[in-house]
Amino acid sequence: MQILHNRFVKNRNYVLLFVSIGFAMLTLILSSCSANIPVQQVSQNPVDSLLEIKYSIIFIIHGNGDYLYFDNSGNQIEADEVTLTEAIRIALQNPYAEVFIFHQKPTQHFLFFFSLKDGEFYYYRNGKLIANELYWRDQEKSNLDFEVAAYHRYRKVTPNKLINIFLYFGHEIPEFGGAGYDESYSERTFTIDDLANELKGFTSDFSKFDLTILGSCFGGTPYTINKLGSYSNTIIASPENLHLSYFDLHSFEQLDINLKDSDVHSFANKIARESFEKLTKNVQTEVSVVVYDVEKIQPFINCVYDNYNSTLISLKGMTQENLATIEHCDCADIPAYQISTINNGVNIFYRPARFGRSKNKLNHSGWKCWKY
Amino acid sequence: MKSIIAFVSILLMFVLVIPANAGGKEELQKHFKNIANKVKATENATEKREILNESFQKMSKALNTLESTGMISDKDQVGIDGLKATMQENQDDAGKNGFERVSDNQLNNFSDYVVQNMEQAEMITISLVSLLLIIILVVLLV
Repeated sequence: MQILHNRFVKNRNYVLLFVSIGFAMLTLILSSCSANIPVQQVSQNPVDSLLEIKYSIIFIIHGNGDYLYFDNSGNQIEADEVTLTEAIRIALQNPYAEVFIFHQKPTQHFLFFFSLKDGEFYYYRNGKLIANELYWRDQEKSNLDFEVAAYHRYRKVTPNKLINIFLYFGHEIPEFGGAGYDESYSERTFTIDDLANELKGFTSDFSKFDLTILGSCFGGTPYTINKLGSYSNTIIASPENLHLSYFDLHSFEQLDINLKDSDVHSFANKIARESFEKLTKNVQTEVSVVVYDVEKIQPFINCVYDNYNSTLISLKGMTQENLATIEHCDCADIPAYQISTINNGVNIFYRPARFGRSKNKLNHSGWKCWKY
Repeated sequence: MKSIIAFVSILLMFVLVIPANAGGKEELQKHFKNIANKVKATENATEKREILNESFQKMSKALNTLESTGMISDKDQVGIDGLKATMQENQDDAGKNGFERVSDNQLNNFSDYVVQNMEQAEMITISLVSLLLIIILVVLLV
């Protein structure tokens, strides 16, 4: 009888164990498949904040690619994680700001088959975390629907004139095609037009961002700057390679001091100069950071846009293999772009690579073109 | 009972921990970072130069060997051509082929340049399989 009892208890334990594991797995699976996981409301009464909002900042941090690099001490670092940490620091240290952070992550699986959410959203207001939510990114064309919707859901509605700033960090954003931008999703496309559409969604309640920072390689082209310029007054971008996580954002940590007079253009020049100094100190490759005054660059854009666009149309017809052989170059190297307005409205911080074939290039126009 | 729980727990740990996909580009970056570390650990400029030249030659040889197998796609070929051009440029800077060579006191910085150039390189056209084959060949070609 005792033996039978023991066997029953033992069997019951097995059943309980496996039921528990099954239940835990089912919970995880269901939570990972849920389209609308509840927002983790960290602060209960965000609306009742007594501090006014002066700055509204949006970070999009693309982390679904190869963002590994080594710092000067030889430490292995993921650039998107570094940028996320910096964005959170900025959010915590600015009591008069609201900060939206969207971290676009690689796909991950539970039990090899079940996809987990590939985006994480943080919303800070008055230096406090208000919401933290996992979400699904667009699975095909990247319209960034969630990001725009979350922004409008949480943003502080105020009669005050806010200083609106948008920052994007990621690899070079293609000007056409765009397949393969996300390492995890070969079919998903993302182009500069998609980003511009997103900016349009963000700016539906105000005319333009005061400042846009494009932390990617080869962002300073006539097409890209023109697209972003439709939704931004001032843009910081790099016409050359921009080494992963070396954009210097520490001046964002004290906006009340650094943007006290609301002079965004001067602030942009400060950010660009500090980034240039940080980059030149840490990397041996080419460094270029440019501030574009969107109003002042229009005469140049108007003159070269058709030319640049026709180049893009030609490139669109090429195979990916052929396209990979077409190099970028300084627009000033192409006769059609050598016009008097090329330097209008651009503040260029440039240092050639310390080694390699471009080490003797002393100046840069601030504009990137295709050698085609 | 305890042993079963322990077994299941370990099994679950293995299943739940998603293995990190160490991409081929990452391995290449690590390879060049190791070369840079070796260069910096050496005081003698001649030895520094030898370490660098040997690594560029090995890489070029690995790329040629991979090409000669005839197993690579047109897409991979474009990426491999780009890598070969980068290796050629590095060898030129190191003083091969009659180019002005990097001065002795700049060799540490040059080794960092090689790593950072690789970090920035767009090797998206090279498949993971080909990148891993390159690494294997670099290791084998001692």
